Amino acid sequence: MIRISGLHKYFGDQVLFSGVDLDIQKGEVVVLIGPSGSGKSTFLRCINGLEYFQKGEIHVDGIELHSINRTRPGKKDLEAIRNVRLKVGMVFQQFNLFPHMTALGNIIEGPVTVLGIDKASAVDNAVALLKRINLEGKVDCRPEELSGGEQQRVAIARALAMKPGTMLFDEPTSSLDPEMVGEVLSVIKDLVNDGMTTIIATHEMAFAREVAHRVIVFDKGEIIETGPPEEIFTNPKAERTRTFLRRILKD
Amino acid sequence: MKHTLRIFSLLLGLAIVLCWAIPRQPEEGGIAKIKERGFLLWGSDAEGGAPYVFPSPDDPSKLIGFEVDLAGAIARELGVKARQSQNAWDSLVPALQRGDFDFAMNGIEITPQRKQEILFSAPYYIYTEQLTVRKDEGVIQSIEDLKGKKVGTLSGAAAQDILEDIGGVDIKIYSGQVEPYEDLALGRLDAVLLDLPIAAYYAKPNPMLKYAGPPAGEGFYGIAIRKGDDELKRAVDEILLRLLKSGELKSIYQKWDLWNEKQEGLLLNLGGPAGGARLEESRNAPLHTFFPMLLKGAGITIFISTASMALAISLGLALTVLRLYGRPPLSSLATAYIELYRGTPLLIQLYILYYGLPNIGISLSPVVAAFLGLGMNYAAYEAEIYRAGIMSVPKGQTEAAFSLGMTQTVALRRVVLPQALRIATPGITNDFIALFKDSSLVSVIAMVELTKTYGILAASTLRFFELGLIVALLYLAMSYPLSVFARRLEDRLKGVKG
Ligand SMILES: Nc1ncnc2c1ncn2[C@@H]1O[C@H](COP(=O)(O)OP(=O)(O)OP(=O)(O)O)[C@@H](O)[C@H]1O
Ligand SMILES: [Mg+2]
Repeated sequence: MIRISGLHKYFGDQVLFSGVDLDIQKGEVVVLIGPSGSGKSTFLRCINGLEYFQKGEIHVDGIELHSINRTRPGKKDLEAIRNVRLKVGMVFQQFNLFPHMTALGNIIEGPVTVLGIDKASAVDNAVALLKRINLEGKVDCRPEELSGGEQQRVAIARALAMKPGTMLFDEPTSSLDPEMVGEVLSVIKDLVNDGMTTIIATHEMAFAREVAHRVIVFDKGEIIETGPPEEIFTNPKAERTRTFLRRILKD
Repeated sequence: MKHTLRIFSLLLGLAIVLCWAIPRQPEEGGIAKIKERGFLLWGSDAEGGAPYVFPSPDDPSKLIGFEVDLAGAIARELGVKARQSQNAWDSLVPALQRGDFDFAMNGIEITPQRKQEILFSAPYYIYTEQLTVRKDEGVIQSIEDLKGKKVGTLSGAAAQDILEDIGGVDIKIYSGQVEPYEDLALGRLDAVLLDLPIAAYYAKPNPMLKYAGPPAGEGFYGIAIRKGDDELKRAVDEILLRLLKSGELKSIYQKWDLWNEKQEGLLLNLGGPAGGARLEESRNAPLHTFFPMLLKGAGITIFISTASMALAISLGLALTVLRLYGRPPLSSLATAYIELYRGTPLLIQLYILYYGLPNIGISLSPVVAAFLGLGMNYAAYEAEIYRAGIMSVPKGQTEAAFSLGMTQTVALRRVVLPQALRIATPGITNDFIALFKDSSLVSVIAMVELTKTYGILAASTLRFFELGLIVALLYLAMSYPLSVFARRLEDRLKGVKG
């Protein structure tokens, strides 16, 4: 369970969030939508400590992240952030696979170096994951030898290998060619069906509608509307939501 | 790769042909030209050149010394002014042959072997070799006691021959006159054998040193004149004789405390002495006889470069990590180190390490000083190469590592550095090759590596050309495999297969 309360985030003098609240239940699938620059990525990044925030609190499975107003976080803060990261997996728009490692190497890296799992069982688990995403033939390929869609699937497997309780996806299909979007979304769908707590920032409205339990609409650093997908997509209350949907569905 | 090699050999061959094909310029010497020019240009080395030629302590822009006085007197007799041309002592003869100046006068001993290359004036000074030891020395009384001892002398000096003739002496060759006495005082040498004028100026006033035994050997300094310039030789001889008879020469030597009864012999010795047959041999020796010495020098070059590079690579990494990730005092210290070492000449760093540290009680052996000097200097450059490599790893890589729960240190070790090193590899190997060549600088701190070996051999045989080519080839033979290896490594890091 994740609880965000009174979140304030500034970039220098520029205010992005001034008091954002959100609770996410275990097993819930939450989709973040909203115009470019509205704060979806930053919100996700605050949850796993890739961005520090200036006021408010974030609880992830009982671990508390505090606001940090210094240039260097203290030892306690770093410890808390690391503990959260061990419970939360993240998938990036740009995949960010490690180019000097094979697909298998990428997947076992976390379990072996961070969790200290012995290599043989990490490999067994990684091979099983590769099978699950239909890439068992690419075990020894380096990222540069994989298509974008394959890379993103490996990135998902890399995060899953850490056995996280929650997965964060930041526009996982935005840098893919259209024909590869489907294969990545189907892997995510598969996960969601298994009951993984999931937060996804995306511009894929049809997908959002299909998998979301709850849709959160961001605009200019504010949550302007939340609700089940049927409601948001067929009968949005906020004028700004309507404008956003009209524009994005037209494209 | 084969291609490069072929082009290389072609260029080298071309260079050799050109060198032989271009005729030596028949320098139109002569008095007329000097008079027309209005000054006499004479070559010498003012670096550590007291009491011959050296910058005046009162006004360093002015040169003084007994040879400065003598050159002035000769020029005056010719009706012109004298002007000095600064040259490394080792290269005075080749520079003279090239026509860089009218004559060279700088304690150049008259030897039959040099006489094959150049003309000598009548002797203008009779030198002897003076043995110097530390004040507390009890064993070494004379040259006979030098077996098995560490004895310093100058490269190409007649003293070197005397020492070699004794046999079993551990001879240390220096290129400056200050350093051997410095090392003697510090206990790095047991004795120094050098021309009396040098000893008179550098050793006699030093309270830690004393003369041992009477002066040994005897030889003549002559003014070196280009072959074919007989007119100038005749004029100089005449002038010297005049200065000798008028007593002006004597008063110059008295002024510099160099006069002794021996100099009376100058009148009898206008023809120059015999001797130096051994050098004659080396002059005509087949090239392969030099190989053992050259290979030994090359071995030392390889050893010192490899060891220093290992230091540079590891120390550089530590510096970069401190600079980028260290807490404030450490990170600025690392930055300061890098700026300091990159912003000052390596030569000065070596001098400070070897000759400066003893002033505060730390005395390093030449090998250690060379290793530290080169390694610490190059560490600063490696640090900057790593930093550029680290900066060019995309931020997303660190974020992905963090999101897997890696700490800063683990992310650096597992994700950032492997990629940064791959980017840095070409720069690092380039630097290794550069260090290879820079290693010749350590000859200033009494390390006889390849370049120094060349300098010594060439100075004593005057075979600058052949030996130079061989040495250049030796350097190439060492650095070329290195660049081939570097390219292989780069390809492998890139993951290129096959
Ligand atoms: N490191 C940063 N420094 C300064 N401003 C930033 C930084 N990161 C984000 N911002 C600003 O914060 C705002 C929110 O950015 P964010 O990336 O969270 O938006 P987003 O909703 O993910 O947009 P998109 O749909 O384009 O990905 C933007 O105005 C952006 O310019
Ligand atoms: Mg974004």
